[in-house]
Amino acid sequence: MDTSMKKLPPKPVDQKKRVAHWALAIVTILLIVWSCTGIDFGGIKQTAGQIAGAIFSGIFHPDWSYVYNGTGEDLVSQLWDTVCIAFLGTFISAIISLPFAFWAAHTRHKKWYVSRVGKIVLAIIRSFPEIVLALMFIKAVGPGSAAGVLALGFHSVGMLAKLFSEAIENLEDGPNEAVTAAGGSKTNVVMFSILPNLLPALISNTLYRFDVSIRSASVLGLVGAGGIGYPLIIALQYRQWNRVGIILLGIIIMVIVIDWISGWIRKKLV
Amino acid sequence: MADSAVKPVIELKNVKKVYGKDVVGLKDINLTINKGEFVVIVGLSGAGKSTLLRSINRLIDITEGDILINGESITKAKGKELRMLRRNIGMIFQSFNLVKRSSVLRNVLTGRVGYYPTWKSTLNLFTKEDKQRAYDALQQVDLADKVYTRADELSGGQQQRVAIARVLTQDPDIILADEPTASLDPQTSRRVMQDLRMLNEKHGMTVVINLHSVELAQEFGKRVIGVRAGEIIYDGKMSETPKETFDQIYSGGDQDE
Repeated sequence: MDTSMKKLPPKPVDQKKRVAHWALAIVTILLIVWSCTGIDFGGIKQTAGQIAGAIFSGIFHPDWSYVYNGTGEDLVSQLWDTVCIAFLGTFISAIISLPFAFWAAHTRHKKWYVSRVGKIVLAIIRSFPEIVLALMFIKAVGPGSAAGVLALGFHSVGMLAKLFSEAIENLEDGPNEAVTAAGGSKTNVVMFSILPNLLPALISNTLYRFDVSIRSASVLGLVGAGGIGYPLIIALQYRQWNRVGIILLGIIIMVIVIDWISGWIRKKLV
Repeated sequence: MADSAVKPVIELKNVKKVYGKDVVGLKDINLTINKGEFVVIVGLSGAGKSTLLRSINRLIDITEGDILINGESITKAKGKELRMLRRNIGMIFQSFNLVKRSSVLRNVLTGRVGYYPTWKSTLNLFTKEDKQRAYDALQQVDLADKVYTRADELSGGQQQRVAIARVLTQDPDIILADEPTASLDPQTSRRVMQDLRMLNEKHGMTVVINLHSVELAQEFGKRVIGVRAGEIIYDGKMSETPKETFDQIYSGGDQDE
């Protein structure tokens, strides 16, 4: 690059790059065209616009009678079910996550590969979508809330243990040293120094995960793992648009309220 | 102080510490500290004071040599043996190292963990005597009224005195203090030094302190060890140490951080 006062030279032409860019563009277009041919657009019915409109109007004309009717099949009971699934699932995963977190935290091991292996295991757990897990647990324990709880409990470990282990890695080592210097064992260090220092991060991350689990739990019912997803898919199949509307409204309110509460608690913690 | 009739409690024999491949922390240190001594170690930052102190209770593993505590090698000790030796060596840190979210009482009781099997201390099964012992220790540092306060509600000086109470509860023969006053104001520093002197004179503990402050060293120390670039360059009684010696210890322009 010349810095003296000359005219700005034209951008140097890099033939290789130019070819690469064009190739990339062509491949992208080809991919789009190819994937479009893979989809059978004949499947989109002429009524598509009409149904979309029906769902939309359903949201504005919700079926209020479904909110509560005392049968246990109404909106409030189903939402409560969803909250319970998310809560239990998160609780279970928080407990399972703790040992995994210590495994994956690199500050707790002298050998670098121990925590690396732990991190890989967590990545593998994370890579299973909860819907896939729910389908597997439905086969194992039958359809219903139990499958949902197990699916969420297992899936959340991947993310929660990762967050926990990062919190452990961020702890200062001083208090741990003090326990060691007094003749404490490794367990003493964990019980007297690490856990008390870690507690705010544990609670905050678990609440955050609870937020996420609420959303997941709303969907799990679609495959029959309990919660609000099941009545939603039934209402969709029977084209009860007013009911679809009230369910969607219910989910939105539930997510917002829980978000707000957990955000409030987390703020208090700091 | 250092006459041969007195029993040695800490012995460093040809101790060498190398960090990584070639960063020398300690070069061939030979040092004997006897029971009841009040030793101050002075030197520039990075001279190896902390490394020296932390190798005594093996928070740092040394590369070569041997360290004996009351005649027993801490270098070779393992597992429970090492914990028993550490139980006999209290430590005070520059950053206090309290568990900030725990109560003062629990922090002080932490000094007792070496006396219990792990499952017992985990379940918080401290005996009544030990709880009383912790409270007694807090009274000695004038913090009895803070016993159920959370540690992070205390000032820096108070936190350091809780750390001293923790060591008092641990009831060791040896106290190591790594820059105990470096994050405190001059007045609080003197208070902490007086507490350490109390441990030495009233409880007969052997005290080894790393200090930055020459004034505090001169006022409280009885034996001075000067460290520069990982070597002991001076060792003598405080009463016989002239001011120039400190200048020499702190000069040494040839060494870096």
